[in-house]
Amino acid sequence: MTVVVVVVVAVVVIATYLTWLASRLDRLAGRVDAARAGLVVQLMARADAAHELARRRDLAELADMAERARAGHAALLAGAGLGTTAEDAENALSRALRAPAVVAVGQRAPEEVRAVDSAAARVALARQFHNDAVGDVRSLAGRRLVRVLHLSGRRPLPAYFEIDDALPAWEEDPPPRSDDPAGIPGA
Amino acid sequence: MRIGLACPYTWDVPGGVQAHVRDLAETLLDAGHEVSVITPVDDESTLPAYAVDAGRAVPVPYNGSVARLLMGPVSAARVRRWLREHDFDVLHAHEPTAPSVSLLACMLADGPLVATFHTANPRSRILTAGHRALRPSLEKLRARIAVSEAARRTLVEHLGTGAILIPNGVAVRAFEGARPLPGYGTAPTVAFLGRIDEPRKGLDVLMAAFPRLVEKVPDVRLLVAGPGDTEAVRSRIDPALLGRVDLVGLVPEADKAAVFASGSVYCAPNTGQESFGIVLLEAMAAGTPVVASDIDAFRRVLDNGRAGRLFGVGEPAELAANLAELIEDPAERARLAERGRAVVARYDWRVIAQSIVGVYEMVSGDRPVSVAAPEES
Repeated sequence: MTVVVVVVVAVVVIATYLTWLASRLDRLAGRVDAARAGLVVQLMARADAAHELARRRDLAELADMAERARAGHAALLAGAGLGTTAEDAENALSRALRAPAVVAVGQRAPEEVRAVDSAAARVALARQFHNDAVGDVRSLAGRRLVRVLHLSGRRPLPAYFEIDDALPAWEEDPPPRSDDPAGIPGA
Repeated sequence: MRIGLACPYTWDVPGGVQAHVRDLAETLLDAGHEVSVITPVDDESTLPAYAVDAGRAVPVPYNGSVARLLMGPVSAARVRRWLREHDFDVLHAHEPTAPSVSLLACMLADGPLVATFHTANPRSRILTAGHRALRPSLEKLRARIAVSEAARRTLVEHLGTGAILIPNGVAVRAFEGARPLPGYGTAPTVAFLGRIDEPRKGLDVLMAAFPRLVEKVPDVRLLVAGPGDTEAVRSRIDPALLGRVDLVGLVPEADKAAVFASGSVYCAPNTGQESFGIVLLEAMAAGTPVVASDIDAFRRVLDNGRAGRLFGVGEPAELAANLAELIEDPAERARLAERGRAVVARYDWRVIAQSIVGVYEMVSGDRPVSVAAPEES
């Protein structure tokens, strides 16, 4: 009788623990999805801001890179992975934003430059939130118990999104950042 | 937005985290957001209208000071009720690694959660021992904010997770144009503000420097404000110098600006473990030039010494020399005050709160904050 009780209690405890682990994985998957959606929104905003700057100042190469990034965003919205193709397109846009011709625009287009700056800062934040979420998933999903029992189900392991998102350094005075909601003073 | 703020430390005990939560809450309210704070408190009548009582916290020695902590079924029930009664768009927990209300809130809530980490402590025993226990709660956080580079490093090292940097804010308006305390403003004065019996605030370093300073500047005075045992400090002062030292004890929040304005120079002789130099920024906002220990957090705030003087940590001779030089050079004081104001503008709470709202907007909107299902709590 005692043995039966012990076994039943043990089964209940183990089942509860495993259910709890699975629910954590579920919640983390939700967090990664939300972070991914947020990141895509910011990437789109950055491409729009870059495109606007390019249009106003006749910067052909920047316009081209912004267009290419935008083309990729359609696929991202449709659910494509944030893989190397997306990384390459965004890196190309980051580089285009730092090209000498673009940097020289500086004070001549303060509005557009500020919009690009603010959008680029938000991309960096969104990417941090995304990668932190991915890191948390990978650390929990990497536990032996989780792997052996397939507690993550069929969800593929999410990947980090690694791009060069250093802010463009504008020539002459940078635009004031004080009224920019995404600009982080002292960062 | 509807914003819930969780503060882990007793509201009516002075402290950096409490001040941060209060200033953030009030700035957000001014900007038109709906804000509710939940916090432990000793005397419920001290709570402002926007705050909710989570119960009385228990004092525990931790990290060289006394932390007052709160965990238990009663507070858990209060936190749960608070979450249910407010349909928050975002829940912002402060210092959720402390076993108190913020951690409870993270355990009990689900949805758009943000946390700010204030502590910089490379050898935190709680974090080292407890990080596995904390993980399930902290992995709900959609955004992690560190108030300083040191706080971020602590987070990376102990919890293996990144964070974005948004520094503490300064209520610039409360300090601008401050007038000196009665009887001050004429003789050269060094001002100090901080707990006087906490060694890492460094009052001992300033006390050791003071006799040397008197040799160089005979009419100098010292104004020491802050809670602690004033008699014990007084008994250690050379009787010949007693007349020049004013130990005014704890000053009300409203008088802090006047303390800074009373100093020709503000001195921050801290000996380490400071996460962020908020007090320096407050002095700079009041227009008082700063002489501070060369610790990481202070060096950043003082722009590597361009917006204030830095001296070797725990070096009374160096401190005395710097104080004397500044006191005797009004032009240099004015220059430092001017640069100080420029630095402070970036830390104005109105600017910082905008950055924080930017984070809220990025991580919320898909669903409100809810109470987690019972088996997850």
